[in-house]
This record gives sequence, C-alpha cells and structure tokens, in this order.
Amino acid sequence: MTTLEFTNVSFSYGPERFMDQLSFSVAEGELVGLMGPNGAGKSTILKLAAGLLSPQKGIIMIGEHAIGTYSGKERAQQVAYLPQILDLQAPFRVGELVRMGEYPQNGAQALTVEEALLLVGLQDKTNTHLAELSGGERRRAYIAMTLVQGARVLLLDEPLASLDIKYQFDLYRLLKDIVREKKVSVFMSLHDIGMGAMLDRLLLVKHGRLIAQGDPGSVLTDEIVQDTYDLNDSIGLYMAANRSVCRALAVASLQCRM
Amino acid sequence: MKRDNSSTFLIAAALCAASLCIILVSVASGPRLLNPFILDSETCRTLLAIRLPRTAVALLMGGALGASGAILQGIFRNPLADPYILGISSGASLAASFGLMFGISLFTLSVPILAFIGAIATGAAVVILGHGWKGLQPERLLLAGVGIGFFLSAVLMLVMTISVDDGLKRAILWMSGDLSMVDWELLPAGLLLILGGLGLALTRRRGLNALTLGDDIAHSLGFNPIRERLFLFIAASLMTAASVSMGGVVGFIGLVVPHVVRRHVGSDAVVVLPLSVVAGGTLLCVADAIGRTVAAPLELPAGVIAALIGSPYFIYLLGQRKTH
Repeated sequence: MTTLEFTNVSFSYGPERFMDQLSFSVAEGELVGLMGPNGAGKSTILKLAAGLLSPQKGIIMIGEHAIGTYSGKERAQQVAYLPQILDLQAPFRVGELVRMGEYPQNGAQALTVEEALLLVGLQDKTNTHLAELSGGERRRAYIAMTLVQGARVLLLDEPLASLDIKYQFDLYRLLKDIVREKKVSVFMSLHDIGMGAMLDRLLLVKHGRLIAQGDPGSVLTDEIVQDTYDLNDSIGLYMAANRSVCRALAVASLQCRM
Repeated sequence: MKRDNSSTFLIAAALCAASLCIILVSVASGPRLLNPFILDSETCRTLLAIRLPRTAVALLMGGALGASGAILQGIFRNPLADPYILGISSGASLAASFGLMFGISLFTLSVPILAFIGAIATGAAVVILGHGWKGLQPERLLLAGVGIGFFLSAVLMLVMTISVDDGLKRAILWMSGDLSMVDWELLPAGLLLILGGLGLALTRRRGLNALTLGDDIAHSLGFNPIRERLFLFIAASLMTAASVSMGGVVGFIGLVVPHVVRRHVGSDAVVVLPLSVVAGGTLLCVADAIGRTVAAPLELPAGVIAALIGSPYFIYLLGQRKTH
C-alpha cells in the first residue's frame, strides 16, 4: 500500500525551474533513502512531502489524499518531518518534548509517551534536559515525539549527519524496528553510501531530477554513482570497506541483542 | 511521568503560597508599617487609597511582564528576549513623556492612555516591518523592534533636552517604573487588557511550545507557525502596553522571571505562563514595597529596585551560559 506518492511534481524557488516532473512513491512499512550531491534537491523533496513547500505543478499524495487538502491536525497525523539540525537550545526535558506528540491527536495517539520512550531507549531520561543528551539521543527523543504523534510517514532530513558510527547504527536499527513493528514508512535523506546500501530502497537525485531508484544493489553501481556525483574514480574500494564496517556492526549488534 | 507532574504541582502550590505571604507583607510595608490586626480608620484609609491599589497595579504589571517575557523568549527562541526588545517601551515612553513634559493632562488618565497608544502603535509598526515574504519571521521582528526602539529613544532624548524642568523629572521617574501615582482608576482597563492578553496566550500555549522547537517542527505538529506567532505577539504586546501605561518602564522582570520559573518547573508553557504571572507580580510587589520603605519619605521607583534585584541574577545567568 502506497503512503507517499509524488506524481509529476515540479517546483521552483525563483523564475528558473528547480524540479521538473518528479514521480516516485514510498510504500507502507518501507525504509527508503534519498541520496544525491549537495544542492541536488533532497531537502526540497522532503519539505514538499511535509507540506512545508507547495509544488507549482503535480500532486503529492499522503495516504488517500493530496497533502494540501489536509487540515494542520490531520496532516500531522499522517506525516511528521524532522529537519537536519535540531535545536540545541530547546529548553525542554525529554518527557515534555515527547508529550508534544499528543498535540495533533484527539486522545487516541498511536503510542503513549512511555511506550515511545521505551521504543527509542530513553525511558530513563524523561526528566533529562535535551541539552544534556548526545546528538544521537536527542535525535531519538524527537523520533519518539513523532511516534506519539502517530504519523504514518516519517520524513528525516539527514538524520545520520554528525553522528558517530555507533549512533548511526543505533538509529538505523531503531528505524528498522519502527518500520517493521509499527508499519511506519520512513523516507530519509543521507550521504553515507554504506548506510544507504542497508536500506530497503534508494532514490538517487541530481539537479532536482531522479537519476535512479530501486534496491540499493541496483542503484549504487559504479557507473550511476560516478555519474551522479561527477566522480572520476571508481567507488568500489570505498563501498567495499564501508559495507564491511556496516556488516561488522550489524553482526556485533545482533550478538549484543542475543 | 506522574511523579514529574506531582512535583511540578507541589512547586507551583509552594510558589503561590509564598507569593501570597509576600504580598501581604508588602501591603503592610511602607513609610508607616500597618498592623493588619488593628484596622483603625487611618489604617483603612491608607490601605484602600494607597497600598491596595499600588499592590494591585504592581501585581498586574509584574505578572504581565513575566508572561510577556515567557512568550517572547519562546517565539524568538532567544533566552535573552524580553518585553522591551520590540521597542514597545520606547513608543510608550515617548508618547507618555510628551504628555508629561508638555503638560497634556486633559484628564487624569491622559498619560496612561498616551502610553498605551504609543505602545500599540509601535507594536503595529514592528509587525508591519517584521513581515517578510515568508510571513512574520522572528529575526525580522527582532531587528525591526530594535531598530524602531533605537529611533524612538533618540527622539525621546531630543524631546527631553528641550523640555521644561518639572515635566522632565516626572518623565524620568515614569520611565524608571514609578508606582507612586497609581490609583484605582487605572485598574479596570489594565486588568481587562492584561486578562485579554493572558487569555489569548493561554489558548495558544501549545503553539508556543511548538514554536520554541522551530517553525519546521511546529508545522510538523500541525500548527501554522506564522499565525501562532502573530497571535502570541499580539498577546505579549497587549500585556506589555497595558503594563507600561499603568506604571512606566520596569526592567528585568520580563527577562529574569521566566528563567527562574523554568528552572523550577520545566518549560511547558501550560505551567510557565501562569507561574510567570505569579512570580513577576510578586517580584514587582516586593520591589515597590522596598522602594517606598527603605528611604522613606523618599520613594525609590519600583523599576529601579526590580532592576537592582534582577541585574545580579542576569549576570549570573550570563556567567552560566559562558561556562556551558
């Protein structure tokens, strides 16, 4: 079942068209990555999907309806968006932040605050100030808020940026759990090819155009990546090393959980 | 989570009880210490004609400034924002000083009314200038407020240099937060405006929390950030304008009180807004009581005392930010 669908979406910031006739979809319970060089339009695509920007042409569907037809509350029950930079100065405690996820709900949120905190592993940090958390923990606290919000589509703008490899992997595992257990669709932008290779599906964009989409194996080929990022050298060695690290972490993580 | 709520409730109840005691002591304090157990006719007259209206105005003013500070720090996402950062006090000061220095006193409420008009007109000008192509943006609002505030202050200084001596002294006292001239006449309009502003802010309390996280997340939570910011700005402007027009410019309450409240009960606007009203009102009450008692029969403006109490805490906060 499709939960997010772009059909012939065109968008421009100024007189020059930035994005032309973009079409793709994200299915229920799918973890999809959006990759591409800086300035390719990744953040713009996520903001369009969140309703923060409106397309000049085309239609963006969330569930059965176009994003623009929802009221603010209805939209928040369908889709949640987290920007790349989360405010370090936000004066709230973890519990206060996660409880804000109840705002769009009418007393029937998808998860309770306690359940969401347990799922993201912050159940002991309810009264901790956000400023006292690490970057990875802060990101998880915001994700807990979106889980309470009950959104069917979770849009994350570079959630792995500035996280060390352990936190990157923790976050990846958390997103996999959410996708599997809660049937939430996650659509996230990222730069790390190794992490991208571990997602369900990848979209590769450049200059606002979709270059390739499909399973990571078919998208992250030497030829496509070199063309998208204007590289002159093969990325084979880099990808092999990156995949090895990710596999090692995956094995270590599984062993820890057993 | 339940334990968290109950501790917040206990702290709030303790603050309210302490405030009530402080207010009672403040009412009794002054050039002549009143004994609440011996209510002779002179005591009653002093209470009704001077102490109670002063205490009521101090409570309203301090409460309004505390709540306005909490709102503005949230919508600007700036812990150092206060009700006067938007130039509202400069507009009120300029208009009121015109009245005081050029003897415009057609009726007893002319100065407060002039101050209110000056404050609201400045607030409206700040909103118009702060409205960019993306709507009401916090950075534009702040810059517009600071710019207009500087301009109006410069005009005020110019007017003061060419004014007559008697009016000048009264204007300076008024700008320092002088409650010595207040009476019951000021209360109904001030109460109505402050309750209106506070009511509006309380209906937007969730929007205030969401805006504190940034416009993108506020949008993601289902709010319209531009609309929420406008409503909250109107609420803060109404309360600040009412406060300034009742007793002049009182500094630091709007800056310091919300920080103190947050430190004890967390940052949820549902709790911070009402408790900032209680704490701000109590602080100004104490400042006014000290101001009229310590150097009696000379009266020190409540605004000066509040700033003397508030400044060290502000410096302490700055020090803490540096160590972070």
